[in-house]
Amino acid sequence: MKLELDMFFLYGSTILPECILIFSLLIILIIDLTFPKKDTIWLYFISLTSLLISIIILLFQYKTDPIISFLGSFQTDSFNRIFQSFIVFCSILCIPLSIEYIKCAKMAIPEFLIFILTATVGGMFLCGANDLVTIFVSLECLSLCSYLLCGYTKRDIRSNEAAIKYLLIGGTSSSILAYGFSWLYGLSGGETNIQKITNGLLNAETYNSSGTFIAFICILVGLAFKLSLVPFHQWTPDIYEGSPTPVVAFLSVTSKIAGLALATRILNILFSFSPNEWKIFLEILAILSMILGNLVAITQTSMKRMLAYSSISQIGYILIGLITGDLKGYTSMTIYVFFYIFMNLGTFACIILYSLRTGTDNIRDYAGLYIKDPLLSFSLTLCLLSLGGLPPLTGFFGKLYLFWCGWQSGFYLLVFIALITSVISLYYYLKIIKLILTKKNNEINPYIQAYIITSPTFFSKNPIEFVMIFCVLGSTFLGIIINPIFSFFQDSLSLSVFFIK
Amino acid sequence: MDLVKYLTFSMILFLLGIWGIFLNRKNILIMLMSIELMLLAVNLNFLVFSVYLDDMMGQLFALFVLTVAAAESAIGLAILVITFRIRGTIAVEFINCMKG
Repeated sequence: MKLELDMFFLYGSTILPECILIFSLLIILIIDLTFPKKDTIWLYFISLTSLLISIIILLFQYKTDPIISFLGSFQTDSFNRIFQSFIVFCSILCIPLSIEYIKCAKMAIPEFLIFILTATVGGMFLCGANDLVTIFVSLECLSLCSYLLCGYTKRDIRSNEAAIKYLLIGGTSSSILAYGFSWLYGLSGGETNIQKITNGLLNAETYNSSGTFIAFICILVGLAFKLSLVPFHQWTPDIYEGSPTPVVAFLSVTSKIAGLALATRILNILFSFSPNEWKIFLEILAILSMILGNLVAITQTSMKRMLAYSSISQIGYILIGLITGDLKGYTSMTIYVFFYIFMNLGTFACIILYSLRTGTDNIRDYAGLYIKDPLLSFSLTLCLLSLGGLPPLTGFFGKLYLFWCGWQSGFYLLVFIALITSVISLYYYLKIIKLILTKKNNEINPYIQAYIITSPTFFSKNPIEFVMIFCVLGSTFLGIIINPIFSFFQDSLSLSVFFIK
Repeated sequence: MDLVKYLTFSMILFLLGIWGIFLNRKNILIMLMSIELMLLAVNLNFLVFSVYLDDMMGQLFALFVLTVAAAESAIGLAILVITFRIRGTIAVEFINCMKG
């Protein structure tokens, strides 16, 4: 094996978007080190520009045939390209969300941007990783940055605690995953490429042995920790509550999307010899997450904890598409992930705005918000209803396609439970909306009394409001054009590795 | 070379690491050490397979795992130092301001 420079130029276009992000984060690092008096606007400008360039390149390349590059350790196909562009899109939306929060918390900006960009690069590599080594290293690149981001408000006790918990749980889960990898490496006869492992397992006839089963269970547990499926979800609410809110907004979508892409690739390519087995396990995990996530979310008093449990249940819905395993299921899963970005980031934008103005994220403090700030309460209402899946909004159409595909593939129990739990989820979303719209506030907190009524302009200069309005528009009107979106994603996903056999 | 004995040994190490994390109620440092123990068990597994199969990739993977483990413990200790500065203790029982 000889590594040559020609090879980079040959395959350079497959990792060009990642290279741009790495280049820009190096520039930010150098600017931070060399110029003592920093102009922070430039740092935001550099990071946002590089993200925009990289998403444009991704969109130009989305319809590629599967290419395997770098000695089989990286694979590009339309599925990866779509998920990578989702990750970059989340980062583009999350950087404006955090500007004002960082200013208020007096945190350092360059490191924050570097961590966000590194996490994005890690997630993008994770989407296309085709080799156990690449999977492990890029997963750690994503999660190490997430630990640092969680503990970014250094003087806050709760942020520290969240970082410690995340580090311990994340380290445990990745070592369990690595243990599974080591078994796969041995049983397949010394292969690390995930396509070759399957062949190796089939050739050595070890695919039915107990060793493969240990590896399968370890990898599934590791993935379930990353995706926060019940019963591996205990860390999620604590980390959502403790970490800085823009970081939570970033992690709740980015690490979910990257983990989902990883799970799809590993389960579909590596464990393609036993599809029924992993489908049953995933079905149990999805059912448990939907039921427990929605039931526990009812009792929560903190908005961020409530959203944590709601995200646990949402990942249960998304898994329906993965379990069906056909083109339509994958298409509807991708569409729901796309809609979930808008709905979730919109909700988080509202919460960040409210907590910046009042310093609280208790649900009961939202009482009577309608009188004080109509724009904020209107956006929050629309995002929550869309998350719950009320008919004219986007979330309804996403859920409709998911459930319909699940029903067509014959997973009746799964879809039935999903329907019941989404009705339950409407209850707690509506409870918050009722509180916002009707109740009179008892004025406990002096900051809530002093809440400044903003001028109801739609084009204000506040970046958080801009993102909020953008996400609200997305989570309200995207459902109307779901048919073109569906055919678009179906066309491009039919070119992916899973369907070209 | 008796493969099964080595694999059993690394599995025992791995289970000890898991045990140390979930049943430890005293010190966060011990939990970090347990994570290191788990990753070292993974390394041992890779090395055993690598020697048994006469293949290089396992040793390469072990090197990567070592690097990642070092980065992770560095971050863990940094967070621990900050926590100790704020709270004055790193006992597990006092890390409980968030419950649910």
